[in-house]
Amino acid sequence: MKLADLTKPWEALSYGFLDASAKREMRRKMLKSIAVPGCQMPYASREVPMARGWGTGGLQVSLTLVNPRTRVKVIDQGADDSVNAASIRRFIARVAGTPTTMDTLEAGLIQSRHRVPEEILRDDQVLVLQVPNPEPLRSVQPNMSIARQMHADADYGRMWLQLYEQIVRSGRVMQGASYPSLVHGRHVMTPSPIPRWDVPKQHMARHLTILSAGREKRIFAVPPFTRVEPLVFSDVPYKVEDHGDLTCTRSGTRGYFMNEIPQNDGTSAYEVSDSEWGVKTIRAAEDGGETRGETWYKDGKMS
Amino acid sequence: MAYVATRGGERAIEQSERLFREAMGGFDKARVTEIKQSLPYLIDRVMGEASLYDEDLAAIALAQTGGELYEAVLLLRAWRTTQPRLQVAAPVEQEQLFTHRRISAAFKDIPGGQVLGPTLDYAHRILATEVLQGADYKPAPVDPAEAPSPAYQPSVSTWQAENDLLDLPDPDGTEGNDIPDLTREPLLFPSKRAHTLQSLARAETGGVLALGYAAMRGYGQAHPTVNELRLAEAEIEVTHPDGRSFSAGRVKVSQAEVVDKKGEKLGIGYAATFGWNEVKCIAAATLDLNSPGADKGAPTEEEFFLYHTEGVESSGFCIHFKLPHYVTFQSSLDAMRDAKAKKAAANIAKEPAE
Repeated sequence: MKLADLTKPWEALSYGFLDASAKREMRRKMLKSIAVPGCQMPYASREVPMARGWGTGGLQVSLTLVNPRTRVKVIDQGADDSVNAASIRRFIARVAGTPTTMDTLEAGLIQSRHRVPEEILRDDQVLVLQVPNPEPLRSVQPNMSIARQMHADADYGRMWLQLYEQIVRSGRVMQGASYPSLVHGRHVMTPSPIPRWDVPKQHMARHLTILSAGREKRIFAVPPFTRVEPLVFSDVPYKVEDHGDLTCTRSGTRGYFMNEIPQNDGTSAYEVSDSEWGVKTIRAAEDGGETRGETWYKDGKMS
Repeated sequence: MAYVATRGGERAIEQSERLFREAMGGFDKARVTEIKQSLPYLIDRVMGEASLYDEDLAAIALAQTGGELYEAVLLLRAWRTTQPRLQVAAPVEQEQLFTHRRISAAFKDIPGGQVLGPTLDYAHRILATEVLQGADYKPAPVDPAEAPSPAYQPSVSTWQAENDLLDLPDPDGTEGNDIPDLTREPLLFPSKRAHTLQSLARAETGGVLALGYAAMRGYGQAHPTVNELRLAEAEIEVTHPDGRSFSAGRVKVSQAEVVDKKGEKLGIGYAATFGWNEVKCIAAATLDLNSPGADKGAPTEEEFFLYHTEGVESSGFCIHFKLPHYVTFQSSLDAMRDAKAKKAAANIAKEPAE
């Protein structure tokens, strides 16, 4: 027997870039995070060939989960063609040989920065959200070690106090994106900086969501059919962005989360944020072929 | 298909990268060699921050990034993390370091002697502009000493411990793969001693200096006295599968020990890194000296300085703010406008009826 028979031929890169030990750790930490919904699990977080803060956490999850048959979609702020989404999609396809798509319904795995697609995800789909700051308590407790203890004690008093102070001062909760939410009645998590519009889509969803912060080395998950409840006082209801009546000037679609485009005359125009939804709407109008799936929001209201 | 026409992302990023690389042009092995020979201290800094000791790879990283240091370090780290861990080298004691330079500011003379070694400390910093006029820059040759200084020296802190001036930390008997490895596990607090030292060893030089300097200026309680500073080469001793141990080569290392009085004894701070980088080691050792008992959130507290001197993470996060943030921004605008509208409505309601 020769040494060469016992080993595989040398290759410059492992399949999916990460080596087997890194993937094993990712799998273990993903399982742990699914077992304790919303609880942040520390992980080693290897360097990947992209800068920290550019989706390295999401990328490590995607690279661990994909196989050559996984159809991958990558979104940045709702758009598939955003430069960083294009870069990540190209990288995954290059190192893992995965087919790619922009169609939410066709995708097996969706890596996204700060949006949940408008079309309802199925139980055979995984949503990987990129997370810049995994710690919902950061604004009230910048030390991660103390915040970790607070989660262990379910000590969320300061979080509630902050929300209360905002209502007293400004008449409403001023949290924009990353609205803190209670998962499975136990852990408060940041849903990542998705707009408030997208948080209700996580509640009792059929799909698995994995949230991964590469720079901060924390991973957490919302398993299928798990309660995700935004922190609200019983007399001040949760309020999503006031986009339900806006119409996209390019596609004509109405009742979805929009990008505001300032105009020269001082007014604003709106474009639907989920770019592929916009494309599908235009296609449907042009050739009549319907490729759009069911959406979470109907007539601008969460159904 | 009006929407699709805007999709130029892939082409744009491809061309922007080409534009960046065009400035440096292609490069070959000769440039790598040239960088390695002419910029050893830069190579050292990059190897230290990447925690990967390979001068050739460091030189390639510098050539490939045009000297964009954060990019060079990231390039090396991303390569390093995919490599298998074959062996854990034997621990290196201070007395075993092949020492080029070793000084102590605590005593006029020390057992083993002060060895000045290579340094610019006493150079007059005059720019060699004559080179632009066509003159060669020719440093005068070194006159060898009559008796060479010993290559191996005892540590100053050992003498101090023998004289009951300080308590050396308890020896840590952890061996081989049981030694906690920061590159394979997350940093949690209170930090394991190995993680603290590894984290400082790969910290970004400028970041360590900024926080170390803050401690030196008075945001820390301890004033560092440089007990011992060494530039040396360490033998990498590994074990062959047949049981024999052998040297796989030498790596340049630097280390600093700083002390300050702590009651009746001296407190000690320590740092070491790959390559020769004195500023980093003194600043890092100062942070280590100040860290016991520091308040949470103080710049000298370990969670604060270990997180914020991590160069790959901090630089990456800093440049990520260039990415579009219009969804999050839109979400904030919505909350602001609604709050403003509520206030306006409340003010109208308050106006007295006519």
